[in-house]
Amino acid sequence: MNLKEILELIDKVADSGIAAVEVEQAGTRLRIEGKLAPPQQVIHAAPSAMPMTMPVAHSAAPAAAEAAPAAPAAEIDSEAGLHIITSPIVGTFYRSPNPESEAYASVGDHISKGKVLCIVEAMKLMNEIESDIDGTVVRIYPQNGQPVEYGEKLFAVRL
Amino acid sequence: MISKILIANRGEIALRVIYACKEMGIKTVAVHSEADRDALHVRYADEDVCIGPAVSRQSYLSISSIIAAAEITGADAIHPGYGFLAENAHFAEIASECRLTFIGPSPQAIRLMGDKAKARETAKNAGVPILPGSDGPVKTFGEAHDVAREIGFPVILKASAGGGGRGMRICGNELDLQSAFEAARSEAERAFGSADVYIEKYLERPRHIEIQVFGDTYGRVVALGERDCSIQRRHQKLIEESPSPALTPELRAEMSAAAVMLCEAVNYVNAGTIEFLFQDGRFFFMEMNTRIQVEHPVTEEVTGIDLVKEQIRVASGEPLSVPRGDFRLRGHAMEFRINAEDPRTFAPNPGKIREFHVPGGPGVRVDTAAYRDYVVPPHYDSLIAKLIVKGKDRAEAIARGRRALELFIVEGVKTSIPLHRAITDDPRFLSGDFSTRFMESFNW
Repeated sequence: MNLKEILELIDKVADSGIAAVEVEQAGTRLRIEGKLAPPQQVIHAAPSAMPMTMPVAHSAAPAAAEAAPAAPAAEIDSEAGLHIITSPIVGTFYRSPNPESEAYASVGDHISKGKVLCIVEAMKLMNEIESDIDGTVVRIYPQNGQPVEYGEKLFAVRL
Repeated sequence: MISKILIANRGEIALRVIYACKEMGIKTVAVHSEADRDALHVRYADEDVCIGPAVSRQSYLSISSIIAAAEITGADAIHPGYGFLAENAHFAEIASECRLTFIGPSPQAIRLMGDKAKARETAKNAGVPILPGSDGPVKTFGEAHDVAREIGFPVILKASAGGGGRGMRICGNELDLQSAFEAARSEAERAFGSADVYIEKYLERPRHIEIQVFGDTYGRVVALGERDCSIQRRHQKLIEESPSPALTPELRAEMSAAAVMLCEAVNYVNAGTIEFLFQDGRFFFMEMNTRIQVEHPVTEEVTGIDLVKEQIRVASGEPLSVPRGDFRLRGHAMEFRINAEDPRTFAPNPGKIREFHVPGGPGVRVDTAAYRDYVVPPHYDSLIAKLIVKGKDRAEAIARGRRALELFIVEGVKTSIPLHRAITDDPRFLSGDFSTRFMESFNW
């Protein structure tokens, strides 16, 4: 679920007057309580607690689940105002052109539009991923060498 | 042996492949576009990879993304399903270059049979009856005119690279041909990237009868009976059945032998379909489909053979499991394609399915990837379910079809169910005596 869907759900619960609602989807459990409790409470279950009927959504990238454990509600806020660079293709994420060289970009680096940030390898082709914005890298989501899907978050940039 | 298959497709066929893999103990990888995050094939596969945005060109048709997904998940084979890249020889080639087993025929066979004019020539050389027409593409109107005069009007112009009923024009006389020729060429150029068109004699009341074939890597080819797909609208099949009400055992044997001959001529391996036009006791080669087809369950029901598992076994290098000797179809099977579309105008009707109840009971099978609250995306084809019924004979199959259609409930989107119900009540349909032009005069 994305933030927009969660906010919509909260509105629906508030309007309906029901006490609480629990939703479980793709490894995320969300409980929204109405009148009794504070209006919202977001709890993300750890990937291991996923129900059997919902196979792991990102099982192609098991490392992702370990690297970015149980995103807390705070993270949604922390991403507000940040620019997220996502992977334009499916492939393997590399932070440097080869194992010996330095990373293209690290947390804290100031980057400008057009700077190469990483490589996503697909079919033996090294695709350089450039920044589409000026700013400071505040977070790198995947681990070096990890598979990434189309649209997966790669970098968070503060403008 | 294959241990992990990436399914380069979506919808019910992706699920169908997953079912086969589960039964064989093979791991599965689903690929999906952003529009298909909530699709069942994504949920039921062991692993899944998002390969691109909703538009097919950048997801289900993106060869590099699909190969990359196979690489990062360690899949050792690719099942292409039908549509999308299933008949793309280049894709099959790249897959094998990347040491991925392509579950289908060789790139050479796909290329040869995918070009209609070349396929026609191959059939002719193999001794398979073809409709009178041009030898290969006709380049000029003069040439087209000469051929048409020789074989007699009406004729049909077809795009060499075409398929699925697109790029065809019927000409009743010279004037028609004159106006259609250049239009057909530019249409073919735009739609298929090649302006080549060829001419065939046009049959007025043909049936569409196709033979399911299967070849293995040991040179054995078998024919697994026919499917009669004469109930279609705008060249899109609506109902398929096996056996055909029009075939005698002798004709079936003749058509099967012709189909096998053609496959042997091109060293065909894996599942394929030879399509024939049939009229007045004679049959003519139309085209070959080098893939598993939408209507394959009809054959599965009357032969008892799981065609998708057979595809995987043959791709693994195993011989065909079909016993040698006499081959007989058992009972009668029929498939109704349920599309999310207006049953009268055939306009697609994507949207949210609010209620979805699937019929069951004896002799009823439903292949679908839809569910209650599923949103039919507007980006792909409108097929949401296939209802397959089987009975001891045609009458029982139709009776089962009728009651299953009655109990098949889909709300939220319009579907072709009401149209199917009307067809199963039609005396002409019940008689079994109809041609591919059935729908042109069907009123309801």
